[in-house]
Formats: sequence, structure tokens, C-alpha cells
Amino acid sequence: MSKKDLASVTADLSALAQTMPTQRPAVPGARASQVVAPAEEVIQFSLSLRKGLRKQLARLADDADMTMRAFVLDALKAKGLDVRPDDLTDLRKERR
Amino acid sequence: MSIITIATTKGGAGKTTLARLILGRSALSGLRAAAIDADFNHTLTDWVSTVARTPITVRHELDETKIVPLVAELHDAHDVVVIDTAGAASQATIFAIGCADLVLVPIAPSAADIVEAIKTVNLIRSASLMMRREVVARVVLTAVQPGTNIAEHVEKEVAKAGLPVLRTRLHRLVAFQEMSFTGIAPTSGHAGVQCSNFLDDLEALGGLPEATKLAS
Repeated sequence: MSKKDLASVTADLSALAQTMPTQRPAVPGARASQVVAPAEEVIQFSLSLRKGLRKQLARLADDADMTMRAFVLDALKAKGLDVRPDDLTDLRKERR
Repeated sequence: MSIITIATTKGGAGKTTLARLILGRSALSGLRAAAIDADFNHTLTDWVSTVARTPITVRHELDETKIVPLVAELHDAHDVVVIDTAGAASQATIFAIGCADLVLVPIAPSAADIVEAIKTVNLIRSASLMMRREVVARVVLTAVQPGTNIAEHVEKEVAKAGLPVLRTRLHRLVAFQEMSFTGIAPTSGHAGVQCSNFLDDLEALGGLPEATKLAS
């Protein structure tokens, strides 16, 4: 048995300590890159258009295997609207 | 200079009460006493900061990477350092055990206290093996109600588990509970005698310098 040596405590016990939970407080800002931005409020928006256009939109979206909502947003993205990937998520697949 | 770590993975066993007794009486007898509070609840820190009537240095530290450096920092300027740990297994507790001259494991009268004390003593034994140094550890029976079936049962279970027990038993006394409000470690009456015996035990184990006797 050796004598107590504070300098070697950490090295000697690190392996054992690794099996235990940490108590270390989270440092503010240290995980900023992992922090998900708060979800922006989603609002409903109604649009009036001719019945024929509505049918064309439905057909084009269906051909592209997209929802009409995603199809419209994708088109608007091409015009420079700040559309994010999660805006194009097809919620119908999640509901199935 | 002595380092005493108080540890058990069970909460409410009497860790902070033991810390108050050691710190309060050590400071009263003129020893330079310091505490490291590694418990989330910072009960010991609050006690020292708000009600303790004797000069005690206290530092609240949860970060396991800072426990050993903090002990080293307090080491030279104090005669006794008491580390109060959280009531759960943690990395901070392991390093606090590694720094200690003596580890106290309190057991209040409950089955869970005994189970967690066994785990804690096994942890201390593992730490001893890894450091190639014997860490002296003693179980301390707290909140004892002598003459009751539960007190007798706890004694038997502790013996059956082969746990090393401190000679002095600390009874369930009002004076120990009052300490949390008065800030004064008892020096008279039954509580004072038990406290003195408790400190004598620690001294005999090399956990405390002799001066603590002066306050008896």
C-alpha cells in the first residue's frame, strides 16, 4: 500500500469515476451549437384561387410526390423565400 | 491536516449532520476548519454561511474535475477539511473518497440506508485497490433509537454485511436537529457526550488532529 498522494488521485480513479454520473454543471454557451432554436409559431393561411388552378396544383404536387403545401413552398423557395427543410416535411407520412 | 469525506449513495442518512458536528466542534476547539460541499442541495454551505457560529471556510463545488484541486488548495491553510457529498453515486464522490484520510458512511435506521452503505463501502474498497492505498472507512449509525427493534435489527444487518462500524452511535436527539437552526454543535448533555465520543473515535482513526478534544 502506498501513501496518500493528492496529485495521483485523479489519474488513479479516473477509470472508476467514468462509470459514475457526472455532477458537472452545464456551462452556459458551451453547447450553443447543439441548442435547437425555439420553434417558430405556425400559422394558417388561406388562399383563394380558381377551381381549375387548384386542380392543376393538386396534380402537379401529386406528380412530384409532394403535398400541395410543400409544392407551393418549394416554388416560393426558388423565388427567394426563406424556406427551411422542415417546412417541406410531409406530415402525412408521419401520421401513417 | 486531515481530510474526512462523508459519503453514502443514500440521501437523508445524516451526512450533513456529521459534517456539522465535525466542523462545528473542530472550529470551536480552535482548529482551522474547511468544508467542501459537493451536494446539489448545498445544505452545508447554507448552514455555514447563515447560522454557523464558528469560523469555517466553505466552498460549494459540484464539478468533479475541481474537487481534487480544491482539496489541495485548502489543504495547507486548514487543519481539517470535511467533504460532504451528494446522496447519489457520482464522479465527485469518487474523487472525494480518493482524497480522504477517513471516509464516514452514515446509516439511518432503514433498509435502504444499509443497502446503499454496502454499495458505498464497496466503492471505497474499489478506490483503495485502484490507488494501492487503504482508505480507512467507517459506517456511522445515526438517528439511533436505543432499545427499539429497529435499532437492534440495523446492528445485526450491519454486522452480517461485515461493514466496519464506528464505536460511537449517534442517537436521534433534538440537539442534533437543533444544530441546523442554532449553528452550534452540541458540547453538553447527551448530544455533547456523544459528539465528543464521536470525535475521539475519528481522532483514534487518524481522521482528526488532537485539538478537537479541547472542546469536549
